[in-house]
Amino acid sequence: MADYVEMWKNLGMDLDKHDNLCAVLPEAFGDVYLSQENRPEGMGFWDFVVSEIHGIRPSELIEAQKNGQKVFGTFCVYVPDEVVIAADGIVTGLCGGSQFWVPDGEAVLPKSTCPLIKASVGARLGKTCPFFRIADMYVGETTCDGKKKAWEILGQDVPMHIMDMPQMKRPKDVEKWTEEIKEFAGVVEKFTGNTITPDKLQKAICIINEKRKALARVYEARKADKLPISGKDALLVMQIAFFDDPVRCAQMANKLADELEQRIKDGVSVFPEGTKRILVTGTPMAIPNWKLHHIIETSGGAVVCEETCTGTRYFENTVDETKDNLDDQYRAIAERYMGINCACFTPNHGRVDDILRLAKEYKVDGVIDVNLKFCCLYDTEGYTVEKALKEAGIPVLGIETDYTDADAEQLRTRIEAFIEMLD
Amino acid sequence: MYYIGIDIGSTCAKLAVLDGDRELILKFVQPTGWSSVDTAQAIRDRLCENGINLENSPCVATGYGRVSVPYADKTVTEITCHAKGAVWIYGIRDGVIIDIGGQDTKVIRVENGMVKDFVMNDKCSAGTGRFLEVMASTMGLRPDEICELARSGNGITISSMCTVFAESEVISLIGRGEPRENIAYAVVDSIGTKVVSQGSRLHVGNEKVYLTGGLCDCGYMQEVLSEKLNCPVETDSNGRYAGAIGAALCACRLRK
Amino acid sequence: MDNETKINYYITFEDYTQGLQLQKLLRGDNIFSRIAPAPRSIQKELGCGMSLLIREEDIDAARDCIEKNHAEYHSIVPLPCQINPKRNKFC
Repeated sequence: MADYVEMWKNLGMDLDKHDNLCAVLPEAFGDVYLSQENRPEGMGFWDFVVSEIHGIRPSELIEAQKNGQKVFGTFCVYVPDEVVIAADGIVTGLCGGSQFWVPDGEAVLPKSTCPLIKASVGARLGKTCPFFRIADMYVGETTCDGKKKAWEILGQDVPMHIMDMPQMKRPKDVEKWTEEIKEFAGVVEKFTGNTITPDKLQKAICIINEKRKALARVYEARKADKLPISGKDALLVMQIAFFDDPVRCAQMANKLADELEQRIKDGVSVFPEGTKRILVTGTPMAIPNWKLHHIIETSGGAVVCEETCTGTRYFENTVDETKDNLDDQYRAIAERYMGINCACFTPNHGRVDDILRLAKEYKVDGVIDVNLKFCCLYDTEGYTVEKALKEAGIPVLGIETDYTDADAEQLRTRIEAFIEMLD
Repeated sequence: MYYIGIDIGSTCAKLAVLDGDRELILKFVQPTGWSSVDTAQAIRDRLCENGINLENSPCVATGYGRVSVPYADKTVTEITCHAKGAVWIYGIRDGVIIDIGGQDTKVIRVENGMVKDFVMNDKCSAGTGRFLEVMASTMGLRPDEICELARSGNGITISSMCTVFAESEVISLIGRGEPRENIAYAVVDSIGTKVVSQGSRLHVGNEKVYLTGGLCDCGYMQEVLSEKLNCPVETDSNGRYAGAIGAALCACRLRK
Repeated sequence: MDNETKINYYITFEDYTQGLQLQKLLRGDNIFSRIAPAPRSIQKELGCGMSLLIREEDIDAARDCIEKNHAEYHSIVPLPCQINPKRNKFC
């Protein structure tokens, strides 16, 4: 038997508390995932990863550390994985998606902080997540006020590097982001003891681009009239992509995409005809936050696309692979990342354009715009998003929620009513 | 064949039965009590007493207790049902419907007889029937009594939107010796303000407004809303049954 | 059949290598199985690990397959269906 308990002990985890999390996962995963019929066979890989979620990948990371590799924990899709990979480092996502971690976060943060930040800080300080114990360095960024201040608290417990994100998208902001990436590269080189060369960076760029293309293929399959995969399953693929080895992630996603493309040819659908196609927009859903998708997909809807950081924002666009010197490569990396339309930018017309385009491409019947409670940026931008959708004649429902179960019935009523309205 | 609509709300359960001509032939209301399941059984018994056979009459359940009606053929949300019910009651195609329910308040925009958009309050019970009930009981009154008393009051407002805080505000107003009618006025005014602000996104000016739900019988609430919205608000004696009637109309589309 | 009266079989393992190996064998015999995190009530001293979920109608064939291939596993546990999509309990 794989003795993860020993590993968790060595990581200094609070075993009793952690056990409470392990105890609820099988039931929640069963209710949400195993209740689905006719899932793609390829999903077996992700079911397996979830079964061993705090064991299999953490033990790989620890092995890598024994071989001298450094693990960098990140919280945002703007932090460039390419730079870390080029210095033989490993990136792991660290965003917390469970209410389980929130109370430990609230012990040090104001209650009016978004649940993602509270859960992330709580997972570290409560010593209840192996990934948060394993990461040698945390990389934060200045995407919102809550995060900026949370880094100061986390920084007292673990080495942190903060990347200063631009808030606008003028040419000088792209310049600035290029400089930030270069500075980050210097920090990574020093921390890993490895030098980044144009060759190594080129290789890293290709690795991450391949991963993006593979994930994009899975999404492409969701444009089909007969949906070969549920939104919940696609969300799981995305969530695990933040933690997995990028080469394996690309390989598994491509394998899944092969199966989905075959399903489309065979006319296999996981939903009955007439199920309403929903585009979800807004804030990220870190693992194991499956709440909204589950409620939608048990209320007569199917999520066909996510315009979120755990959706299209994660993989859209690739880095230009034709550059041959570090300066140009860093610049190309900066340009790709600055193409992501997060609500932390102003103005942010690009995001509205993205949403309107995705609504069309995925042939959606309606949009559900979700924001995590106390996320001022997405909440405020919700007004502009809803207005634009209504003008385009696309029905939209705005939802504010957190990780608790308490509002599930209320959400169900609203979402069912919204779906009835689409008839 | 009859068409049965059951609306199990947080405070009251309502039943409406339509005949083949879509005429309302039976309606009743009873407290939901502690158990939606028991309530559903009691409704079933009363249907039998009235000679309505569930075996061949389609039945649709709505309201927050809609999943607790084991004999319902289908569940539909209260938003869709209130809209359909209001369209039937008021004989309209377009308008804005306000339903002040026991635990939530809904504002629904109807176009061409269909739901076009809606808003529902969050978890908080401000601006709902529950708010009125809590404040009335603090003052030793029934909800309809506090509404009527409010008519003769004026001059003060309650600033807290939260039911818990507002209750302590009411208690301190009582302690300060504020006339009861003024406190009642402040309570009803607070509900009106909250409901209107909730609906401000949907009611853009000239649409007609129709009230449904339990507060239809409180004439003064209608006046307050009408004044705050600056447009006439219609009510109907069947307004309380809008959800149940809407559910019965949904049942008309089912075969048995 | 009603979900509550339905029986699901969970095959638990000493480690995931055994589990993945058995799944391969079952697939070879066209026996439907799904990877599931082992429910807490049957996990006992085993770590936070995988199990294989087998439908009632497939369990005899699965047992035959195990025997035929001398496949390794920890135990086979019948449980009333644990899956309830309307529970509204998330983690």
